[in-house]
Amino acid sequence: MDAQRLKDNFAHVAEQGDAVALFFYSDLFVRNPHLRDMFPIGMSHQRDKLLRALGHIVAKVDDLANLVPFLQQLGRDHRRFGIVAEHYPHVGASLIATLRHFSGDAWSEEIESDWSAAYTLVGKVMLEAADEDSLTRPAWWNGQVVAVERRRFDICVLRVQPDRPLPYEPGQSVALEVPSRLRHWRYYSMANAPRPDNSVDFHVRLVDGGPVSPVLVRATETGDRVRMGAPVGTLTLDESSGRDIMLIAGSTGLAPLKAILEQIARRSEPPRVHLFFGARTRDGLYDLEHLNKLAGEFPWLTVIPAVSEEPGGHGFPPVLQSGPQVGSQSWFETGSAPGPLPGDGDVEHGNLSDVVARRGPWDDHDAYVCGPAAMVGHTAEQLALLGVPRDRIRLETFADAQR
Amino acid sequence: MNPPNLPVVSEGTRLTPGELRSVEFARAALGRRGYDEEEVRAFLAYVEHELVQIYNDKAALGDEVNRLRAQAAGGAGGGVLGPEDAHFQAVRILSQAQQTADLYVADAERYTRELAHEARLHREAILSDAKGRAEQMLEHAHRKAAAVADAAVRTAEQHARASALPRTGGALPDDERREMEREIAYLRTYSDVYRTHLRSYLEALLRNVDEWENSERASLPH
Repeated sequence: MDAQRLKDNFAHVAEQGDAVALFFYSDLFVRNPHLRDMFPIGMSHQRDKLLRALGHIVAKVDDLANLVPFLQQLGRDHRRFGIVAEHYPHVGASLIATLRHFSGDAWSEEIESDWSAAYTLVGKVMLEAADEDSLTRPAWWNGQVVAVERRRFDICVLRVQPDRPLPYEPGQSVALEVPSRLRHWRYYSMANAPRPDNSVDFHVRLVDGGPVSPVLVRATETGDRVRMGAPVGTLTLDESSGRDIMLIAGSTGLAPLKAILEQIARRSEPPRVHLFFGARTRDGLYDLEHLNKLAGEFPWLTVIPAVSEEPGGHGFPPVLQSGPQVGSQSWFETGSAPGPLPGDGDVEHGNLSDVVARRGPWDDHDAYVCGPAAMVGHTAEQLALLGVPRDRIRLETFADAQR
Repeated sequence: MNPPNLPVVSEGTRLTPGELRSVEFARAALGRRGYDEEEVRAFLAYVEHELVQIYNDKAALGDEVNRLRAQAAGGAGGGVLGPEDAHFQAVRILSQAQQTADLYVADAERYTRELAHEARLHREAILSDAKGRAEQMLEHAHRKAAAVADAAVRTAEQHARASALPRTGGALPDDERREMEREIAYLRTYSDVYRTHLRSYLEALLRNVDEWENSERASLPH
């Protein structure tokens, strides 16, 4: 197998972009109509994924040390789609047909045998990993929604009971599929450390125009069924570190960090933990009540909520606030317009990365960051500027993964 | 034995009905059994007839093939495709169908995204409007109550001055008592004004809910 010839041929074919993937799937489905049902109706994301994976594999075809783990994970991932050994040759045949079609005159017997050899290897590694995985884990877990809590019109917390034990590391996530959106898998992090009863919580935020998250947030009821893939992810606690910890969460990026927080709380001597929880507006701090309760319970925990799009001192007048009015005479005594919310001083204002920076120094801390891509990017940059070594920053974005 | 004069069929030529007819069979030796000559003749005639038929059919088929070939080469519709071409055609048609489906899915997603975005803006406008109103109400209640409190204190002072009676059993010093009266008057008026505002606001909200319900009912198919 000539790696360079393979790369050159793929570069030539890949110039034609989406048309290549479009041809591949059409060819696959014309030859094997029964495979069509394994894919969603809309295929544009699927095609992007295929081209990305192919590009990655070809780029690493002569770097087996990196390619093999990637392929093994790919093989394991494909178990939940119901992909089994007999599907692999069909995919290989359509792949070769596609490459031949788009190579035109550049196609030769040598190239064809290069591709055959490469695909055979790829399929073998994927299948072996899938087979090995099947010795210890099911292809997917069935789960039932046992509690739904709407925290805001577009945020809800779901509790799901898997049909069998679902071992995972706090901070990991699973791909989730709901019956009304079959073949659409979305990654969500477990928001709790593993419990004796195996139940898991998910924090779901509605993404406008997304096919899955609106169903999860607006239409999910107790008793509904879901399917879950195997837990994945590297945003996990560095147990070997003796350093203090900062957890930085933007919106529902809180979920994995809350699981890590629970894991820390189970230690006999927890380190100092600062949990930053940010949202655009105050009502986006959907879990603050519970976090404050935890902070009251654990002396080693400090919770710092922050909002980025509400100016300081703004909010409902105290009269409209529910609950006991501590110092509610303030507006009377000053005799002027109502003052800030009771407890408003507890909420920081500004972007999460700036709020974190104001509270430093952090250079002797481990940092765990999760949230929207921009927030995670800024925060990681800011932390690096503040002297936190890169290898002590673990991060994850949920970006488009949760539409 | 050997057939005596079967035509020598050279490479590339075929047995013709004419050749069949000219075949002569040698006589069987006297006293030996042989085929009935008439029967052999009749059979050969039959074979000849069949061969003629086959040649005719073959020629007709050849013509048909040429005709179809010409048609296929001419390309105009109705041509017969090879299996390879048929496959590409199917792939092309499926690809077009998939692209159409993708387009519809993308349109639907864009549409819901726009709708949701508008709903979000609407929600924020309603919230900020409500906040504004609440602040306005409180401000109004405060101003009115402060004025009433001041008036109450002034009246009390005038009253005290006019009666000029010594204080009976009041443990509170004058200043403090006046301050308390001011507070009482303030609070009474404040809550009164605030209540009125709140009531009219809630009534307006109720009317909104009614309108909402009515419009929803009106939009249902009858």
